[in-house]
Formats: sequence, structure tokens, C-alpha cells
Amino acid sequence: MGPLVVNEIISENSNLLLAFFIGIGFGFVLEQGGFSSSRKLAGVFYGYDTVVLKVFFTGAITAMLGLLFFSLFGWVDLSLVYVNETYLWSSIVGGIIMGAGFIMGGYCPGTSFCGAAIGKIDAYIFIIGLFIGVFIFGEGFDLLEPLFMAEFMGSPRISEFFGLAEGVTVLIVIVAAVAMFWIGEWAEKKFPREKY
Amino acid sequence: MNTVKDPKYMNPYLAGVLLGLVVLAANFVSGRGLGASGAIKSAIVAGVETIAPKHAEASSFYNNFSKAHDGKPMHSWLVYQMLGVIVGGFLSGVFSHRLTWKVEHNPKIQSRTRLIFALGGGILFGLGSQLGRGCTSGSALSGMAVLSLGGFISMAAIFGTAFMLAYFFRKLWI
Amino acid sequence: MKNIKFTSRVILSIVLVSLGLLIAAVPRNTTTPFKLSAEQILDELKSGTQYLEPDAIAQMIVEKDPSLQLIDVRSQSEFEKFSLPGAINIPLDNLLSPDFQDILNQDAMTNVLYANGSTRANEAWMLIRQLGYHNNYVLAGGLNLWFETIMNPQAPSTTSSNDEIAKYDFRKGTSQALGGGGTLTTSENKESSTSAVPKPKPQGKKKTVKGGCS
Repeated sequence: MGPLVVNEIISENSNLLLAFFIGIGFGFVLEQGGFSSSRKLAGVFYGYDTVVLKVFFTGAITAMLGLLFFSLFGWVDLSLVYVNETYLWSSIVGGIIMGAGFIMGGYCPGTSFCGAAIGKIDAYIFIIGLFIGVFIFGEGFDLLEPLFMAEFMGSPRISEFFGLAEGVTVLIVIVAAVAMFWIGEWAEKKFPREKY
Repeated sequence: MNTVKDPKYMNPYLAGVLLGLVVLAANFVSGRGLGASGAIKSAIVAGVETIAPKHAEASSFYNNFSKAHDGKPMHSWLVYQMLGVIVGGFLSGVFSHRLTWKVEHNPKIQSRTRLIFALGGGILFGLGSQLGRGCTSGSALSGMAVLSLGGFISMAAIFGTAFMLAYFFRKLWI
Repeated sequence: MKNIKFTSRVILSIVLVSLGLLIAAVPRNTTTPFKLSAEQILDELKSGTQYLEPDAIAQMIVEKDPSLQLIDVRSQSEFEKFSLPGAINIPLDNLLSPDFQDILNQDAMTNVLYANGSTRANEAWMLIRQLGYHNNYVLAGGLNLWFETIMNPQAPSTTSSNDEIAKYDFRKGTSQALGGGGTLTTSENKESSTSAVPKPKPQGKKKTVKGGCS
């Protein structure tokens, strides 16, 4: 049955319309969760507000479980779902640069648009920065290409990489996340901040 | 004195489950996850192609991307999705009465400082998201949802670095 | 003794862990068939989904797409005389040798089989498709069509549409990038290129998903 577009159950144009509605859901949930506030986002790195940790991992786990159960019921063909490619070095170096950007700017791209939607001026400035950053990458692409293409590993799933069953892998991630939630709530009590 | 919990925001675990359902919906409908930085890339490619077509023609970065989208970089899934994010965020702001123009910053710093670092952070994030083939939404969140190894690596690198650098930027936030 | 408070974290943790245990306990979904029936293969053959056009392959070569793996199914001697850039040789006779199964049966790469025409590559494709292997495709028209369209593109007439001209420009550029442009009208293809090979029409699209933030 699913994915609906790949199996040509719905057309390419309805796909784009649905993308818009999925985006509305995405934006609404991010804003309701408090991701439109940079101080709330940055809180996870100082322990005063771990909402990022909770929302992010709960979201990832819900989607993982959902996909595996959907596959189990025969609702979605997992071999037709896009699995992000792994280029080891560009992932690591890109992630490090993004981490630095995160702690300086207090937003990530998705949340900055959310912040901008409710009038955060710092979010608009961050978005301008994003555009400049992407432009710099585009202009410097020839220089960065060797790093960008290095150590292509295909599209492995982490379960295949460690030789585990997918269900077992998800269970491990869940246990790790539950432990982190516990630490997070402990940290919020230990490093409380004034209301902001 | 647990003053941080703001009752106006949704319970984070409930928000997380809903976020997961959105990611699941994207995968079920389109066979792909969410994203944000890809839409910015679309806009940049479209912009450069309009303003400096010769230049875009000469660069493999713009060329590759444009070809992958049949020459219509703005006609992409992520662009429509990001338009939705703006609408969704706005609706949520209306719903919870959070629409105000302001520069949100730690009262201990000036808003000018906040804006300078926001710009710098944005530049780094934009650059890193292209190198890492996706941002926190596209690579880390959606990647983890399909158990992609790359997604887990991105997530660890982004959050690991931010944690390690947190000490140096503490004046900005606490 | 403390009472356990049912905060949202505790409730969520219990739900997630139980669902996790459940999914870890059930075996992996095996509803997708491992081997394909003859009818399924015939359907795929009829729809032509296994073909990739020379233009698409040329573009992947020029862009150095790391997921592209060209596989030459002709004999070793033919392969040594001429092969496409980056191709590996798996002669049709050795197709089922265990040495090559890791290459043919995998999820990471896009394998493109080719021979002089389409027939031999198609035979190879049918064999491995029947084993249930994914991500294998056939270069439409084989090397013959490749030379006709990519290496020696025919200039379109001046009345052609812009699309045609753009296509020609792309092919000319590719041909130069790959070191063609007339010099490589090779002898090894002569015998088969004289026999009029009907050009297969690639109709189906490669059933893959775009995604990620790029």
C-alpha cells in the first residue's frame, strides 16, 4: 500500500499538496512544543530546559515504531521508503559545523522558520544567515567536493551496520531515550532558571 | 522553583508523539522524511539561476541540483513542505496567542549581540547542512526514523558538538 | 516509601518500552516475496521498468554519482577491448558465481548491466531479477545506442525544438567529457551495429524515492 506516491496511488501533484499539509502539521507541532523559542531550544545544552531532547527523541522513536508496525501490517513497503545515504566524513564534519551553529544561533533551520512565523526577529536574522551559508557552500562546492563525496557507504540502516534485528535496535534506542528523559528531568530540577 | 515549565506550551512528550506521527505520515504518503535546509537550497539555486544564469551554468553545484529537479528548483517537495511549516507555525502562534515582534534574548546581553550571533550561527548551520546532506530535521530526525546510519551520525555530531561548545557560549544563554 | 507518580514521562516510557519489546519480539515482516514469479517478471519486462536511458547513465557518470555501478556482461576479451568508465566485468556465463552475488544483491548501489545490444544484458537482468535482487537495471540499447546517442550525437536540424537542442548540447558535452567525439566508433561493435537492433523504449521510471535535505 504505502508509500502512496511511490506506488502511484496518488499523483505527483497531490504529493506536493500533501507536502504542504504535512508541513502545516510539522510547523504547528514544533511551535506548540516550544521550538519557536531559541532560549528554550538552547536550554537543553545547559540543562535548564530539555524540551528539545524530549520532543526530538519521542518523535524519532514514534516514527521508527510506526514504520516498523506499518511494515508488519503490510501497510508500507519499507524497501520503497527513502533511507538517507551515509557519507561518513561529510556527515561528521557537517554535523560539527551545524552543532557550532546551533549553540551560537539557538535555532536549527526548521525551528527558525517556526520562530519567524510568530515574529521572532532573531529567527529572521538566523534565516538570512542560513541563506548566506548555503550560498557559500554553493560557491565553494568545487573545493568541498572531495570531502562531500568521501567514504560513501550506501544507505545502510544502523541495524544492518551492527547486525541486529530492526526491532531489537529500536528497543535499544527506546531504552537509551528513556534513560535520557530521566536525566533530563533531573537536570531541569538541578539547574532551574527564572521564567523567560 | 520549577519555573521553567511553561503551561502555555504543549506537554513535550505529547508534542514528540505528534511530531513522530507527522514524520510517519510523510514516510507513508511520500516515502520520505521531513526537511528544512533543502528548501533553502532550492531557493538559493533558483535565485542564482535567475540573477546569474551563466554562473549557475558553470557550477556543478547549481547544475546538479537543477537537473535533479527537472530545471524547476522551486517545484520541490521540501519547498511546499516549508511553506506549510510557516503557515503551521503561524496558526499555532494565533491559537496560543504568541504572535509578537521581538528579539528574544538573555536579558544579560544586548539584543545586538544576540542578532550578531544569530547571523553567525545561521551561516554555520547553512553551510553545515549542505555538507552533511541535511539538517536536524532532514538528516537527524528523519534519518533516525528510518534507522539510517547517517542519521544517527548526524544527530550525534550536531548535539555532541553543541554540548561541547556550550561552555564557551554560556553568556549568550544563561 | 515513595509512591510512583504517573507523570507523563513515566506513562510514555512504559508505553514506548512495551511497544519496543513487542516489535523486538516479532520476526521481521516477510510479506514481500523473496523470489519473483514468472508473471511478475513478465509484467516488469512489458512495462520496461528495467531500462535506463543512455542520457541518464551519461549524466550519472559525468556527475560521478557514487551509487552508480556499471556492469559489463560481455566476455572478458570484449571487456578488455572497450568498456565504459568505472565498469566491472561480470560475463553472463559467470553471473551466478558466488563471487559476484554481493555485487548483484545489495541495496546501496544502482547496478546498470550492459552489453553490445540489449539482449544479453536483459537475459542477465531476468536471471538475477528472478532471484529477487533489487537495484539492477539495463542500459537501454546497449553500447550501440550509447555510441549513437552519446559519443556521436547527431546534430538536430535548426527547426528542432529547444529541448532537442539542449539534449544535443548535453550529449556533445558528455561525449567530450568521456573522451569521445568520433574517435571511438569502435570496431568491436561493428558486427552487431550493422544488424538493426530495435531500440527499446524505456517507459517505466526507476521506482526510487527522492528524499533527504538535498
